[in-house]
Amino acid sequence: MPRRRRPLASRIRGYIRHLLAFLFSNVGIVVLVVAYTIAGAFMFQAIEGASEMERVNLMARERNNTAQYLWQNVTLALNLFNETALKDKISIELHHYQKKIVVAVRRGWDGGRSSRQWSFSSAFLYSLTVITTIGYGHLSPRTNWGKVTTILYTLLGMPLFLLYLSNVGELLARWFKCLYALVCLCRGCPGFTRRRVARFRTQVESSEAESIERPAGWRSGYSDSDATPEYRLPHGVPPYMFRRPKYMRTISMPQPWGPPRYLDRMDPRLRGWSEPWMRNITPETSEFSYVTFDAQTITVPLSVCIFILVGYIMFGSMIFGMWEQWDQLDGAYFCFISLSSIGFGDFVPGERVYTPRIETSFIVCSMYLMLGMALAAMCFNLMQEQVIHYVAGLKRAAVRICRCKR
Amino acid sequence: MERQLPVHSSFHGSIRSRDSTSTVESDPREKIKDCFRKFIAFMFTQVGVGALVVCYAILGAAGFMHIEKDNPDLQLEDVKNWRLNCAEKLWNITVSVNIFNETVWMHKVNNVLKLFQNNITIAVHTGYSGRTAEDIWSFPAALMYSLSVFTMIGYGNIVPKSVWGKIVTIAYACFGIPIYVLYFCNMGKVLAKTFKWLYITAHECSRRDDPLFEDGEIQPKKKITVPSTACLWVISFYILTGTIMFGAWEKWNYLDSTYFCVISLCKIGFGDFVPGANISDSAGGSHLKLVINFIYVLLGMGLVAMCYNLMCEDVRVKVRELREDLKNCLDDITLKITVCMNDTKYYHQKQSRNLK
Repeated sequence: MPRRRRPLASRIRGYIRHLLAFLFSNVGIVVLVVAYTIAGAFMFQAIEGASEMERVNLMARERNNTAQYLWQNVTLALNLFNETALKDKISIELHHYQKKIVVAVRRGWDGGRSSRQWSFSSAFLYSLTVITTIGYGHLSPRTNWGKVTTILYTLLGMPLFLLYLSNVGELLARWFKCLYALVCLCRGCPGFTRRRVARFRTQVESSEAESIERPAGWRSGYSDSDATPEYRLPHGVPPYMFRRPKYMRTISMPQPWGPPRYLDRMDPRLRGWSEPWMRNITPETSEFSYVTFDAQTITVPLSVCIFILVGYIMFGSMIFGMWEQWDQLDGAYFCFISLSSIGFGDFVPGERVYTPRIETSFIVCSMYLMLGMALAAMCFNLMQEQVIHYVAGLKRAAVRICRCKR
Repeated sequence: MERQLPVHSSFHGSIRSRDSTSTVESDPREKIKDCFRKFIAFMFTQVGVGALVVCYAILGAAGFMHIEKDNPDLQLEDVKNWRLNCAEKLWNITVSVNIFNETVWMHKVNNVLKLFQNNITIAVHTGYSGRTAEDIWSFPAALMYSLSVFTMIGYGNIVPKSVWGKIVTIAYACFGIPIYVLYFCNMGKVLAKTFKWLYITAHECSRRDDPLFEDGEIQPKKKITVPSTACLWVISFYILTGTIMFGAWEKWNYLDSTYFCVISLCKIGFGDFVPGANISDSAGGSHLKLVINFIYVLLGMGLVAMCYNLMCEDVRVKVRELREDLKNCLDDITLKITVCMNDTKYYHQKQSRNLK
């Protein structure tokens, strides 16, 4: 009785665990970030929206005061027919007024054109700039409560966004590697693989005959008994995999008995990718037809990563250039400053051109930023791998050179 | 990885050179090599990286100053023209309208002023700040600007306006950010080590005084991790220092100055509060403040990195403990369930045997 029940229970538990892991890994974290940003947008809108109206009224009063002053102290006091003196006086007065306007605009007054600065979409962009630590500063909290809330919101939101970045960056990196392997290196095409196999066949036969004989035994890498330091390579892949060309994970004899029992023990990530029996390869092909590759072991060259980043920035500069009537350099400058999370705030979408599309432009900018930062994280992920690879090679070379010298 | 490599190799190198000096007494080439190696190792330590960051900032400041100061400011002329135009219009109004009709005069003047105001608003949005380029790009301000670029704070109170300024900024960020990250990691590690040592020393001292824990020392020494609260205390103290300092200088209230410190240390950098950048202020007295802000931010970043390091460790240990606890708990439960099941099974068997 208990024997039959336990597998079911464990299976259900496994499903739930997988679901939870999935939610916390990819989709869940994206949803969480978006929800957090939306909640922040509503919160800041509620807090800051009220004080905004007061400022607009304040500026109108200021203008009236200036006019009054001009009337009383300049027009009435001075001789009317002395034009130069009057103009000088007016000019000085206007200079004062101008300074006041500059200060007011710097403090977040909008010139009275768009009455609602803290609309939903701009508050959304504001929350996003807070948690991504871009901080354009085109909007900033004016009330005390707004400031306190911003501090708390930052402390909670920044770790969340870092989690998002690392998670999504890793996921994108994995996908991109698969894509790169399939498209650029053509490692997925069967004909190519066969040719490659033929090329490597002799080498493999001669050099690593012993490793071919133990294809089913690569579980031995998992066992703790022979866990020498060398064996503790990532994901329990036995070291002979590394000595071989990287994309050839398993070279195995045809296995008439079907999938071996350790299938369920394997890393779920590898499943469906490197298992020859999952693809419908006919058994009458040559004995070395079971060459599969693992896309995760290849490294994407640096130039591709840089090309992607530059391409994304160019794409952004094109879009914003069209949308905001910036020239190409300004658009690229804006994209770079935003994606590197510097965020000066001298260029912000929807800031200069007052169109009805302003709301959409904020949302488009938010989308661009979220995707772009994930993409940048992906590229850094890939680049880091590549750099580590290079450095390891360099180290090996250096060690060899040192040995030779002695 | 990159960082550790030269240190590592220099370590080997020093051993090797010690060997070689024992055999060959004074080989000048070897000596020079050793010196060079030591120099590189030093460059990659915290002092070297700190110096590198400061040098890079100073270099950037000089470069940006040179580029931006030559840039003719068209906006300044525009604003001046607008003001003169406005004065002209006001004169015309005064001439044409009956002087003693105040309301009409007021209305017209108000309209003119509103136009003027809108123009100025647009100018401010596009970067006009009422100061000439020479005023803005003083050396400390440029230093602050380069700091805000490579630390990714981006206050945005000073921005490049010329084409070359923008291009150079992009290139500067491309090289500066890795250097800064190097500094961040290095500083974090060193400070974390120091702080941990301090904490452990203090911990042991306090424990020796405490009679309750006398027998606890017989136990194998448990690995001490600095709790997260200690890190938070350090950061809060640093922010408090900054709050009081900037509050006193800039005459901000305490909330504003706390807000500034948090926004700076979190690398958000809205730029609504920047020390020494008050627009209505003349640029003269603010230079020292900018330099001190530079030091404050750079040190603060190191502290943040330290806390990040320590907290990561703490969290990792806590999570491991939690997982072990959970595992033990689950094991207990499963054990109990199996025992129960076996008991019932045994009971059933017994009963059936009895029935037989």
